[in-house]
Amino acid sequence: MSHNTNEEYCNEKKFSEFFLDNSALLRNYMYYKCGNSELANDIVQDAFLKFWNNCKKVIPGKAKSFLFTIANNLFLNEYAKSKVALTFKSMPQKKYTHETPEFLLEEKEFGEKLQKALSNLTESQRTAFLMNRIDGKKYKEIAEILQISVKAVEKRIHNALLSLRKEIENI
Amino acid sequence: MKKNYFLAKWLDGEITDETLKEHVSEEEIRAYKKIISATNQLEAPSYDAQETLEKIKKTHSKTAVKKLNYTNYFYRVAAVFAVLIASYYFISTKNTSYTTNLAEKITFELPDQSEVHLNADSKITFKAKNWENNRTLNLKGEAYFNVKKGAKFTVNSKLGSVQVLGTKFNVIERDQYFEVNCYEGLVSVTSKNETVKVPAGSSYKVLNDSSQFSNNTNETIPAWLQNSSSFKSMPYKYVLKELERQYNISIEYDVKYENNLFTGSFIHSDLELALQAISIPLNLKYEIISDKKVHLKLDEN
Repeated sequence: MSHNTNEEYCNEKKFSEFFLDNSALLRNYMYYKCGNSELANDIVQDAFLKFWNNCKKVIPGKAKSFLFTIANNLFLNEYAKSKVALTFKSMPQKKYTHETPEFLLEEKEFGEKLQKALSNLTESQRTAFLMNRIDGKKYKEIAEILQISVKAVEKRIHNALLSLRKEIENI
Repeated sequence: MKKNYFLAKWLDGEITDETLKEHVSEEEIRAYKKIISATNQLEAPSYDAQETLEKIKKTHSKTAVKKLNYTNYFYRVAAVFAVLIASYYFISTKNTSYTTNLAEKITFELPDQSEVHLNADSKITFKAKNWENNRTLNLKGEAYFNVKKGAKFTVNSKLGSVQVLGTKFNVIERDQYFEVNCYEGLVSVTSKNETVKVPAGSSYKVLNDSSQFSNNTNETIPAWLQNSSSFKSMPYKYVLKELERQYNISIEYDVKYENNLFTGSFIHSDLELALQAISIPLNLKYEIISDKKVHLKLDEN
């Protein structure tokens, strides 16, 4: 059985389209993984470059998951190995709101507890949960990108919610 | 027994609040709703996709072009072996010399058509007269040689000397660091009163008075000829010096890092990428002060 590979992603225009469609999602995913936006940006750039250099290996319909696999490997091989302390710099920030000061203070405190609880989730729980909540990806989409089953996505999100509640209540 | 991830199903709208009450208390449901409401208001940091795309296009086209140009460079030379002891001496009359500045690389031919590629901040001096019978030159810095078959060929430098009879090799002489890499054939290296034969695929390195022989790699040419610099367990100060040389900048950093061993590489065509490559592994952060100056300091984040 031969794969029906072609070289469509080698074409600069096609690659650029692919980049603009997927770079923000990949960048966010990496950011959820390591909590460092500079590092996330670097990995995204390297991953897309590597993707372009390996464009002939892309199987049509699997481009996105191929890209994510490259990015994950880069993350593991290069950045994890270099023993950079991946301290969680910050988590996604809250948008501006118009409530009263007292309410805002309470919200701020809750927000901080949430930040801490998010950083204490496992990497796989956190990435799945935030891809759903912030990037708006459905479970089926997350499953396809990360090459896992929908059930596995549900498990991560279920456990993420469970952990978040337990940790926030205990603080 | 099938596991039911009811929280995920509820979040997705697949089951209702009523159904959820069968699994958790009302108080817990309130807690989950609060978490979801707070999370819905979070945002990831902004991202400039267009800017990154431009960077990628630039790097990608450069790599493609370089690969093409490179094939024109080398022609094959038959390798012949030689053993010899050489001593350091200085050629004084009627010398021809080639010099490179910072951020400069050149290629030239010797009178017998042997090729020399000179890396940045380096100098080669030799006597052109009677070259065919006496092929001796003096090197300061780094050069890659592709030597034509002929009389014995000697490269002298302050830290050591290399002798061959027609082969491909790279010599580095910087400060207290001397390294010879052989890519084809066999070279004989003399340094600090010892003479070592270095066959193709191996290298001989002297760092601060201790020498090391290793069987290298699958490399067929040095990285710098393809516009990147590659290091294996190299004291950080040498890595930074090479980056300074390639980009003609000066880097300020805490001297306590100077002997940290660095393994990795950086490209010669993008300063920011190069700085990232050498700073991230040591948990340092770079700051470009002007187009000639960079500061490296500990990344406190």
